[in-house]
Amino acid sequence: MSPAETLQRRLERGEWVLLDGALGTELVRRGVRWRDHGLRLAPGAVQALHEEYLLAGADVIRTNTFQLNRRLYLNVFRDRAHMRRIGAPDLEERPVRLLEQAVALARAARARVGRPEVAIAGVIGPLEHCFRPDLAPPATVARAEHAEIAQTLAGAGVDLLLLESMNTLAEAMAALAAARETGLPVWVSFVLGPEGDLLSGEPLAQAAQRVRREGAAAVLVNCAPPADIGRAVGVLAALGMRPIGAFAHIGRFDPPSWKFEFYPQFTGTEEWPPERYLAAARAWQAAGAQIIGGCCGTTPDHIRALRAGLEAAP
Amino acid sequence: MSYEAIRERLARGETVLLDGAIGTEILRRQVSWADHQLQRRPEVVQAIHRDYILAGADVITTNTFQLTRRSFLNHFRDLAHLRHIGAPDLETRWRDLIRAGVRLAQAARAAAAGGRPVAIAGSLTTLEWCFRPDLAPSPAAAEAEYRETMAVFAEAGVDLLLIETVNAIREAVAAARAARSLGLPYWVSFVPDEEGRLFTGETLAEAVQALAPLAPEALLLNCAPPEDITRGLAVLAPVAPCPVGVYPHIGRFDPPEWLFTDEYPPERYAALGQQWRAMGARILGGCCGTTPDHIAALHRRLRPTA
Repeated sequence: MSPAETLQRRLERGEWVLLDGALGTELVRRGVRWRDHGLRLAPGAVQALHEEYLLAGADVIRTNTFQLNRRLYLNVFRDRAHMRRIGAPDLEERPVRLLEQAVALARAARARVGRPEVAIAGVIGPLEHCFRPDLAPPATVARAEHAEIAQTLAGAGVDLLLLESMNTLAEAMAALAAARETGLPVWVSFVLGPEGDLLSGEPLAQAAQRVRREGAAAVLVNCAPPADIGRAVGVLAALGMRPIGAFAHIGRFDPPSWKFEFYPQFTGTEEWPPERYLAAARAWQAAGAQIIGGCCGTTPDHIRALRAGLEAAP
Repeated sequence: MSYEAIRERLARGETVLLDGAIGTEILRRQVSWADHQLQRRPEVVQAIHRDYILAGADVITTNTFQLTRRSFLNHFRDLAHLRHIGAPDLETRWRDLIRAGVRLAQAARAAAAGGRPVAIAGSLTTLEWCFRPDLAPSPAAAEAEYRETMAVFAEAGVDLLLIETVNAIREAVAAARAARSLGLPYWVSFVPDEEGRLFTGETLAEAVQALAPLAPEALLLNCAPPEDITRGLAVLAPVAPCPVGVYPHIGRFDPPEWLFTDEYPPERYAALGQQWRAMGARILGGCCGTTPDHIAALHRRLRPTA
């Protein structure tokens, strides 16, 4: 049975599955210079972190590809002509190569740890900065760009696709349609605003139902503080939707004094040691969440605590 | 120190040396960038200022490029979101960092200038990304934001403002109006495209016309490859009503860092500096990719008796 089928069966049986924790913030915390997602300068650190999450017991590990797309480079130039004129020579092709490399590192980690049943989720973030729904491109543009990313990840050998931190319904729908063309299962996860709905302000319940109708294999919420995530799990559970999932961030987003699409630095994470995070996750599980892991700020210790502390079966 | 010594030198037609890159120089010294390193590695920033002073710079720029309230807010949906999930000091960090940046330049000058007049230019750029004129805020909003930012520089005690890598006339005008309202001497430096125009397609001649009534102390060109700077200078020098200057970048932008190349070693760069001086440039320095060695080479060629 393939990892995706194993995962699917477990979720259908009502079991819960463990996602991994943060990649970006943990790499930065470990001193990796955040450029090219650490993939060029520190591939060993990326693979080692995957391995730690596997050893911590994750059933699903995510590729280090959040917001890794052509815009990451193109956006800091006037346009393509300007990028060619003053940019490093390989910037046009680099995003695609990095996507492939990121998948290869996750696969290498899985092989090295010897857990072939673990599913690798190819992560796709919003095309523009995840916290700026106002910048989301039009749906037709988004669909084409997400299609390239989804096909690249699928071609490199992921087991499912995870649309993460989706901040508008329109982009989630465009990405979902593009991702489903790969034939892989697609999970959709929304980033929440302070009001508890999508960051765009669109109602969470309706967005969840829309993506579910369009074929999302699971609906999740992520990248908001644990309390907000808990309330959102309640909203999803009240819809009677299954499976649903949750992964909160901990600490506070501490961006640099510089323009970046997303610079994964969270500080103050010590306020959420693994035991405290586990207590929050227990409540999500009790409310019906079957897919549970950690977003920005979480570490292998948090995932280990979830593995040890969450109920084995509902 | 005030701007007076620099103004007099320029009035006499003499060359004024600007420093070279700070951000890329931090990277070249194997320190990561991301947050200007003003608080975590202040000694590295101060050492770079010192090295530029020792190389012969008459004007050093603060390590404050793009430090504004907006820079931090842009990472979030809005202020409510920033307050909800952001680190506690993000609404005021820009101000603390500007103050720290000016202090480090002042400390370097006190330690290294040895009585030579060295001016400190507060570095600012466009409110949105310097290569993306399409993102610029409205002129009214821009002027108010510039005034807020520049007031911090004024209070911290810079000698002039260097409004650099400007991509549009309207943003240059907004910044110039703000600087004038605070009574600070200021230079405006445009980033030219490969045809010697602004990134908006506006011409440098149009930019000169728009800024002339606001009496900038100098107009410059920066952050483009040397050949583009040369092309722009040929347009700018004949029409400018004030001293002009140039400080190109060398190497390639490799976001978010820099790709250093050996295409323009210091002596070759300084030879170009001589050419720019002959074309009318009186302020010469370096942008991304340049080093204290480049400024020292300019100094040997252009200020041999100084």
